[in-house]
Amino acid sequence: MWGLMIMAIAVIRFPGTNNENDVMRALGTIPGAEAQLVPSRLGSAALKEADGVIIPGGFSYGDYIRAGAVAAAGEIMEGVKELANDGRPVLGICNGFQILTECGLLPGALLPNTSARFVCRWVYLRVSEQTTAFTEGLEDAVLKMPVAHADGNYYCTENDLTVLNLHGLVPLRYSDENGETVPAVNPNGSIDNIAAVINEAGNVMGMMPHPERASRPSLGSADGLAILENFVRSTKC
Amino acid sequence: MLTHEEIEHATKVLGRRPNDTELAMLDVLWSEHCSYKSSKRWFHLFKTDGENVYLGIGEGAGLVDIGDGILVGVAMESHNHPSQVDPYNGAATGVGGIIRDVISQGCRAVGLMNCLRFGHPSKPKNAYLLERVVRGISDYGNSVGIPMVGGEIEFDDSYEGNCLVNVVCIGVVRPDKVVRSSARTPGHHLVIFGSTTGRDGIAGVSFASETFSDDEEEDRSAIQIGDPLAKKVVVDTLAQLVEEDLVDGLQDLGGGGLTSCAGELAASGGTGVEIDVAKVPLRERDMTPREIIVSESQERMLAVVAPEKLERVLEILIENDTPHAVIGSVTDDGYFTVKENGDIEARLPISLLVGGFPVPERTEGSLPVQPHTMDWYEEPDDYVEEILRLLGSVNIASREWVYSQYDQHVQSNTIVDIGENAGVLEFPLNKRLAFASHCNSFWTLLDPQQGTANSAAETLRNLVAMGARPILIADCLNFGNPERPDSYAQFVEAVRGLGRFSHDFDIPIVGGNVSLYNESEVEGKVRRINPTPQVMMAGIFEAGFAPVRRTLCTPWANVFLIGETLDELNGSEYQRLKLGRVQGFPPAYRPVAEKNAMEAVLNAHRARLIRSCNNVGRGGLAVALMKMVIGSDYGFRLNTTTVPGKAGTLGRALFSETSARYLAEVSESNQKQFLEIMARHNVPVCELALTVADHIADFGEFRVPVDRAEEEFRTSLSRYLE
Repeated sequence: MWGLMIMAIAVIRFPGTNNENDVMRALGTIPGAEAQLVPSRLGSAALKEADGVIIPGGFSYGDYIRAGAVAAAGEIMEGVKELANDGRPVLGICNGFQILTECGLLPGALLPNTSARFVCRWVYLRVSEQTTAFTEGLEDAVLKMPVAHADGNYYCTENDLTVLNLHGLVPLRYSDENGETVPAVNPNGSIDNIAAVINEAGNVMGMMPHPERASRPSLGSADGLAILENFVRSTKC
Repeated sequence: MLTHEEIEHATKVLGRRPNDTELAMLDVLWSEHCSYKSSKRWFHLFKTDGENVYLGIGEGAGLVDIGDGILVGVAMESHNHPSQVDPYNGAATGVGGIIRDVISQGCRAVGLMNCLRFGHPSKPKNAYLLERVVRGISDYGNSVGIPMVGGEIEFDDSYEGNCLVNVVCIGVVRPDKVVRSSARTPGHHLVIFGSTTGRDGIAGVSFASETFSDDEEEDRSAIQIGDPLAKKVVVDTLAQLVEEDLVDGLQDLGGGGLTSCAGELAASGGTGVEIDVAKVPLRERDMTPREIIVSESQERMLAVVAPEKLERVLEILIENDTPHAVIGSVTDDGYFTVKENGDIEARLPISLLVGGFPVPERTEGSLPVQPHTMDWYEEPDDYVEEILRLLGSVNIASREWVYSQYDQHVQSNTIVDIGENAGVLEFPLNKRLAFASHCNSFWTLLDPQQGTANSAAETLRNLVAMGARPILIADCLNFGNPERPDSYAQFVEAVRGLGRFSHDFDIPIVGGNVSLYNESEVEGKVRRINPTPQVMMAGIFEAGFAPVRRTLCTPWANVFLIGETLDELNGSEYQRLKLGRVQGFPPAYRPVAEKNAMEAVLNAHRARLIRSCNNVGRGGLAVALMKMVIGSDYGFRLNTTTVPGKAGTLGRALFSETSARYLAEVSESNQKQFLEIMARHNVPVCELALTVADHIADFGEFRVPVDRAEEEFRTSLSRYLE
């Protein structure tokens, strides 16, 4: 493989992104994953060879206006949209999820947490029974991962919600240890305990929890690795 | 403000009266904050060296070798005054400043801690300060992407009017990437980068070196404003500069701005500096040379760059889109020369500017001798209520409301979250370090020397309980006005206490900071903070060791109490809740017992004999036991109330805060080996309790309802903040 500069997975770094190295490190433990950091200033041209894109968490452009809003207007997002339209997998984590809703690749919006405070804690997630490219093999499972965000309160219109539920486009919901999606365990007030949303084509997913922070047992859980492994596999299809 | 003597001294040395710009420069560098003019003379009492100390006190961060070519860096600092006036920005820039200290040494910043003190949160102003400080730290630290690994919060009326915000940053670096804070070579360029310069934080250090008065609110122009996005860019840019070995010296612009930064670079390099303020990128119009040279605008760094490397440095700075400029050069004349478009605005000898102040006389007053009597003590009628009250004390209750606002997992190295005895991070090559910080300001109030040494001992126990061996200390010494003899005596006694501890345990002090003048003057009355020598300690685990937590993890195991329990309730949380104040001689610092207990517990950990372990600290045995049940699936049943030592009654045994004690959960099969280790180290031990499959807290004579205990523990702080 040496010398071949084929970029498989592009991990995008906006100014203020701060989870890019964590994602790279987690991908590095997955056999066959070839990932490269792409600074957003390189623009959409830098994504031409990519088989898939991850937009990691952080505070792009400081999130001084509205979480993800400035990044979503960046030129590099044109390249992300093109890849998405070609059916390539796109995963937005935390701030990446916010950017994907801001740029219209995913429905809905991420509002400030109902507590009006940043929240960092471990959560349990109930995986939906419908298979998606990102959750294959995890159907109905309960996963443990951390969340860390100020704006993770997923909101969408009644119409959108009906479509999401009808078409099985909610791969992850906040739940208790036993997989019950009760309101009490919702860390941010999201509608229907939604933690992740996928598009109708099934290749663009946004999630608030951090799979890369649950990628080694010593960190408290390795459950997130399965999602990243699925992502890697889908870049090879 | 410069004193009359100081101005006279400068005039004599210069042979002329300093001009306004020079006076401003001397004012900031001779402030207590920058010069340590009242405190430095006592630092010889600290143990500062050690075979693993790579870089000791004196620069941005202390560096300690943890083996295999990995250095851990720590820096600790206060940001008290700014946080009292503008809690959000004050606390945020405190975090920003401490990160700069660590990265300017070439380190990657991998962890943060913060230690806070406020008045009681039942008063809205105090709750407001806490809320805003936490939000400032959270918004800033979370954005920059450095995990929070620990800290402490304590409440006392003495902090009303002068809250404390102490921050720690932890870093990691390899020896060949260490950057020193010195300008050694004349002819090298001085390159400022990271952010522009404005009027925020003008002479902030002088402001921090005076007592608060009623018109404190007018001091807002002395507060800096943080910009975490710019800081993130600085962090990334600097990592690149360090990686390519492009900087010969580096210092951040913190307290004292360019004056302090360039002055210290020259002082430690034995050189001089020349800066043209017209070249400094500004964010405001019409700034005078004086304002530019002392501004404390955030997110700025000053790099010393060799001529042949300048082109590449500028290339990287442009690529990263960060404000920057070549503002001057290193000289060989030993002067700090400030020019504006070539005209000299100020010219001071470095030897005068940095450390050339006339050493002020300080008087160490005498402190009251505290009696050992406990005649205030009455055996409680209802132990259950007393235990619940302790768990609900704002100085004991869960801090989850606070730390859940901090990102603890970014960088994917966090092995143990906040809420345990210590936070644990993974370093390169699977090395794991635990971090804890502690100060019991009620003990230090009653006896600064004993209280400080014992606060350090408690910090040590937090590490040891998890299985980590302490390797370094950093401190932040927060005290009142050093010009008052009794206040100065508190400071000197505390330094003696910490010095004593560092020698007794052979743990080097590698970083720290002194913050004096922590007093507020309200309606003509001076209110001084409790002496607060905040001690931070790091410990290392043996390879492959999984940190031991404090929640009970098996039924049918024994819970052993390690160490003697003495009649030491003066200065305890129990006394404070009973009397509304503390009095008498606080729990004694007992280095021999402490060291024996430490070695015994570490040996038992090494043999993997302990399932869960807790340090006995604030609130005594009762609280330590309850904390092992809260959050566990299991419970305990007390075997005996006859504990080793001299505690006269059940209540005294339960609430005494004697040091050198631990609780350890040991399964039946490991018991023999465990007891052998304890005996070998001469550590008294008793089989205090048995763990049971039910979630209960059975003290024999009485039972504490665990659901009520959990409720008290979880909600007693947050109820003031919702």
